Amino acid sequence: MDISGKCVIASYPQPMTPAAEPHEDSIRQLFKESQDAFAAATERTVQRDAFGELLARVTENVMGVTKIAFDVADLIVRNLRLAGRADIDRLGRQLARTEDKLELLLQEIEALRAETRDGPPAAAP
Amino acid sequence: MNPVAQLTRLGVAANDFVNILLTADDAAIAVTPRDVVWTHRNTTLFRYRSQQRLHAVPLLLVFALINRPDIFDLQPGNSFVEHLLAEGFDVFLLDWGEPDDADADLGLDTFVLDELHWAVRETLRAADAEELSILGWCIGGTLAAMYAALERDALRNLILLTTPIDTASSRYSNWVARDSFDAATVTDVYPSVPGELIDFANKLLKPVTNYWTTYRRLWDDVYAGIDRRSAYQAMARWVGDNPRFPGRAFREWIDWMYKENALARGRLRLRGRRVDLRRIEANLLVVTAGADHIAPREGTVVVLDLVSSADVTHFDRPGGHIGLMIGSNARHGIWPDIVEWLAQRSAR
Repeated sequence: MDISGKCVIASYPQPMTPAAEPHEDSIRQLFKESQDAFAAATERTVQRDAFGELLARVTENVMGVTKIAFDVADLIVRNLRLAGRADIDRLGRQLARTEDKLELLLQEIEALRAETRDGPPAAAP
Repeated sequence: MNPVAQLTRLGVAANDFVNILLTADDAAIAVTPRDVVWTHRNTTLFRYRSQQRLHAVPLLLVFALINRPDIFDLQPGNSFVEHLLAEGFDVFLLDWGEPDDADADLGLDTFVLDELHWAVRETLRAADAEELSILGWCIGGTLAAMYAALERDALRNLILLTTPIDTASSRYSNWVARDSFDAATVTDVYPSVPGELIDFANKLLKPVTNYWTTYRRLWDDVYAGIDRRSAYQAMARWVGDNPRFPGRAFREWIDWMYKENALARGRLRLRGRRVDLRRIEANLLVVTAGADHIAPREGTVVVLDLVSSADVTHFDRPGGHIGLMIGSNARHGIWPDIVEWLAQRSAR
């Protein structure tokens, strides 16, 4: 990301950028133009249908290989009688369910409290 | 300059350049004092401390599910939150937290109808208010728009910053809306999709700019003696902090928003309730960025024609998806504009 708001480091000897030679300027300009052209070309490339199709296939392949690796690793851990990723996730989900119920219970309590505070006075016996 | 001096300068600049890159994670971001108001699972609602709350209607900030909401409060002197506090707003921030694989069951309905809905309730309670304003950015804006269509009672003002609504023109559509891409392929392996994968896809939209030009510009500035350490590191730290995207929400986001374009077509349903943007009646401000390649202008402005709001405003500004709200241009441009719009609509 480009960020504005520049300031100059006082500790640097000044000037840091001496007047560039004419040939240096033209090389710099040529480099910038090539870079801009290359950037535009790559942006066009990644927007092509063929690239989208390629990306989808590569994603499938990478995920396939990763799944095999994860399954093997999980098998090893489980055979060592250690808690695997799936076991920890199961515990996490159980905690989340408990927290969900607690939140709903709190909301009920708050609603009841508000009702008690704002509601009409109890009828005389 | 003689060769020895040139070589020395090159060495000093190289050392500085590497140092800036390697210590980026030490940058202090999101440091404005705040208090925790409410938590549920990974979600936290923060309220920023302030001595001068001038506007009666509190403001709730909602960011995307990718990247962290620290961008609202990037660094002292370059913080939208700081600006809002100085202008007298009561500012709340909804932080989705850092989901892991155990949170793979969280869907878009959970974020809109539970987390956001409950956060609104807690905001109103904490501020002792009956109405609030919501500012949503990127996916946060989409979630806020869904919320505004379903639960509109307490919402007075809705601000959508660079928000994807109609994804037909989006560059992502070309990748993920095709039949050959199945989001479940990813979530079968990663129950919650690693943020790095999503960050990679985002950067791949502009590969040279993201993987080369950014670093070349930094090198040029370091070599020329221009100090961008603080600004660069704050941004780099934020960009590199990518929480996971819960699997179900990821599948729904891809399938509903990109493959079906269901929100813009009025066919999106959350827990059986149709998300009809015509039901939005809150005052609406839509902000778009001219160079936004993530949520292009044409995919956002459609919301202006879809809602029923009587008070609708559109700001279109130069800048990118995030750059729009960062830096001195934002400080003197879009921030005061948003504040002015909101202040006029935040009296009791």
